Amino acid sequence: MKRRNLLAGAASAALAGPALAQPARNRVLTMVPQANLTSLDPIWTTANITRNHGHMIYDTLYGVNGSFQVSPQMAAGHVVEDDGKTVIITLRDGLKFHDGERVRAQDVVPSLTRWMRRNPMAQKLATVTDAVEVVDDKRIRFRLKKPFPLLFQALAQVSNSPAFIMPERVAQTDAFTQVRETIGSGPFAFKTDEFNSGSRVVYTRFADYVPLSSGTPSLTAGPKVVNFDRVEWNIITDAATSAAALQTGEIDWYEQPPPEIQQLLRRNRNVKIEAIDPLPLTAVLRFNHLHAPFNDKKLRQALLPAISQADFMAAVVGDEPQNYDAQCGIFTPGTPLANDAGMSVLNGPRSVDRAKELMRAAGYTNQPMRLIGPTDILAPSALTQVGADLVRRLGFNADIVLTDWGTTVQRRTSREPVDKGGWSMLLTSFSSFDFVNPAAHFPLRGNGTDAWFGWPNVPRLEELRDSWFDAPNLAAEQAIAREMQTVALDELPYIPVGAYKSITALRSNLVDRVSGLALFWGIRRT
Amino acid sequence: MWAYIIRRILATIPVMAIVALFVFSLLYLSPGDPAAVIAGDQATPDDVERIRASLGLDRPYLVRFGAWTWDILRGDLGTSIFTNLPVSTMIQQRIEPTLSLMIVTLILAVTIAIPMGVVAAWKQGTTIDRCVMAFAVLGFSVPVFVVGYVLAYVFALELDWLPVQGYTPISNGFFPWMENLILPAVALGGVYIALIARITRASMLEVLSQDYVRTARAKGAAQPSILFVHALKNAAVPIVTIIGIGFAGLIGGAVVTESVFAIPGLGRLTVDAILRRDYPVIQGVILLFSFAYVLVNLLVDLSYTLFDPRIRY
Repeated sequence: MKRRNLLAGAASAALAGPALAQPARNRVLTMVPQANLTSLDPIWTTANITRNHGHMIYDTLYGVNGSFQVSPQMAAGHVVEDDGKTVIITLRDGLKFHDGERVRAQDVVPSLTRWMRRNPMAQKLATVTDAVEVVDDKRIRFRLKKPFPLLFQALAQVSNSPAFIMPERVAQTDAFTQVRETIGSGPFAFKTDEFNSGSRVVYTRFADYVPLSSGTPSLTAGPKVVNFDRVEWNIITDAATSAAALQTGEIDWYEQPPPEIQQLLRRNRNVKIEAIDPLPLTAVLRFNHLHAPFNDKKLRQALLPAISQADFMAAVVGDEPQNYDAQCGIFTPGTPLANDAGMSVLNGPRSVDRAKELMRAAGYTNQPMRLIGPTDILAPSALTQVGADLVRRLGFNADIVLTDWGTTVQRRTSREPVDKGGWSMLLTSFSSFDFVNPAAHFPLRGNGTDAWFGWPNVPRLEELRDSWFDAPNLAAEQAIAREMQTVALDELPYIPVGAYKSITALRSNLVDRVSGLALFWGIRRT
Repeated sequence: MWAYIIRRILATIPVMAIVALFVFSLLYLSPGDPAAVIAGDQATPDDVERIRASLGLDRPYLVRFGAWTWDILRGDLGTSIFTNLPVSTMIQQRIEPTLSLMIVTLILAVTIAIPMGVVAAWKQGTTIDRCVMAFAVLGFSVPVFVVGYVLAYVFALELDWLPVQGYTPISNGFFPWMENLILPAVALGGVYIALIARITRASMLEVLSQDYVRTARAKGAAQPSILFVHALKNAAVPIVTIIGIGFAGLIGGAVVTESVFAIPGLGRLTVDAILRRDYPVIQGVILLFSFAYVLVNLLVDLSYTLFDPRIRY
């Protein structure tokens, strides 16, 4: 007997009554997202789940496709004047917010101003900007101190607080305070009355959204055509329950099944497994440069012969080499700036004994070190386990501190030495978008105490980053990228420990998914 | 009686105050930083500091505790650091699933466990008794999540009789509501059935050896009447006590069950809040649980008068 609705059927017979109008089941798409949506402001937090929420309800002036080509999205086009020091962007017709108001330049300017306080590339833009101003209702003007070749690339960023356009009153919120409204201009409207953080997030198709009339949907570029009336994110924290719900058809899409669950789902012909993004996430082994033992460059370098990227990656994605890259440098493999400069230190035969010799030569005499890491986040947890095994095999006097993520992210802010609660090493991973170029590449910064946790002081990396912003073309960017990688693999602000694809699982009858991240335009049910 | 009830209710005030102080201090001292969680993996230390300041988390302990206490006294549980929603709203959203799960579980446990315990005591030493006790040991021994997964696999995935996960509010109809609760209640109920059945059996064995039971038998009273009218009522005080304690224990069990069956209840809310250090939510929910625990104990104490007329307050 296949009668899931046994009780419901009995109930409908016994308790027939009026029901609220609901969209047909096939017009609803239900997904288990990668994490719970807690914060609703994608500028305030850089959490990936909030970024995905941002792409649902907000739109950006420019989009970027899977080949990293930028094209207008909310913009109709732009004019560059004054040798590149003045840029005027015109909004396209028909843009509306979810409350019915028109999108005007007066909304765009405070949105960009707020964004320029938080996004790393936009912060750089801000240093060369005299003013962002309203020309009229449909036009905004950048007045720059000098040309900024990456302006449109910055406006089209997909991750790390993208340049989402909000209504003027919302965008005037301080950049370090969370906005209180969820009125956007994107293809979906947020259902505030149905939001239950930790349980369910609901979006409805925004009927007044006008997609681009031409082009091909690819990442955030091209027409954002929505084929579902309603999208529901069901927050299910248990992987086995999520997998069971996908198999029974209670949900349509499970964004990030862990490797052991992927094996189970592969056996179900109603479910398909694929990489959510053709580009991989990159994993890093980060040193604390402020204190011993890893304030010593020679000791950092001593670890290199023992680093096997394949070991780290197998722990994250399982024994499936097609899902990882074990020759990963400092930029996301498969992107224009990825290169092989200086990679000889990570390729070739691996040797723990050789690493031990180098440690002795570097003068390591059993000083204590502390590895910190989480147990409740899949990839960083697996990476940390491999890291812990490595430092033990190398003979470090290691204190391994495994905690929940909330504790790890606090402990990594400590700038104290190990004997006062500080840390020496941590492992984590970053989305493919973060390492596409030097702009948002936090672990690559060498600006000392202002750098990302670990605080390396490598002035040459900062010089190269500055020159990259001024690079006139891709060839120049690539040349700088090669030099950055050479310097990075010598100074070792961190060691790249591989790149892996994030795998997603969805019902087989869902087609035309836009790859890159969990995006809900283009996708449809057959 | 009323004076006793009022006394007990007044006695909850210092208890709640101590709980509030303890919870706030514990959270203050424990590691973890909501600003770092909010800022995300890519944030710089400077970003984290600025967010911490904007949330008021850089204020001294006494200032924060004073502000929180003042809000509590005014009936304001505060606002979630992450969602910007009032904690009271978040609790309202989550209380129905948890209460539903606990009530259905308790009803299920009591209706199954008490007859089991009574019959086991009646048939002491027989195969029936041994079966009941074996079931009780099993109920204690198998973790809730294991039972949950097995039930979900059999009844949802294989037989397709019931949903794997989720919760339907009772306002959408009794049967849809019940459909989502059957598997979680059975999974969660196992341990309580075992607990109540064992206590019922032990208590009944003591009562069944009393003179008045022998007298009832001598007078020709029917066996069901002896068991359920004469003996059970006199054995009820320890059973009711264990049901009360079990209710408190359900709060903990609900956390696991809600995770396995994706029920959006208070258990999940608490765990999520702890993991991301959402202090106002943790404090609000623990205060609520403490109050519920005190209230249940009061009701249990009062219920003794129904079963034993010698007890007077």
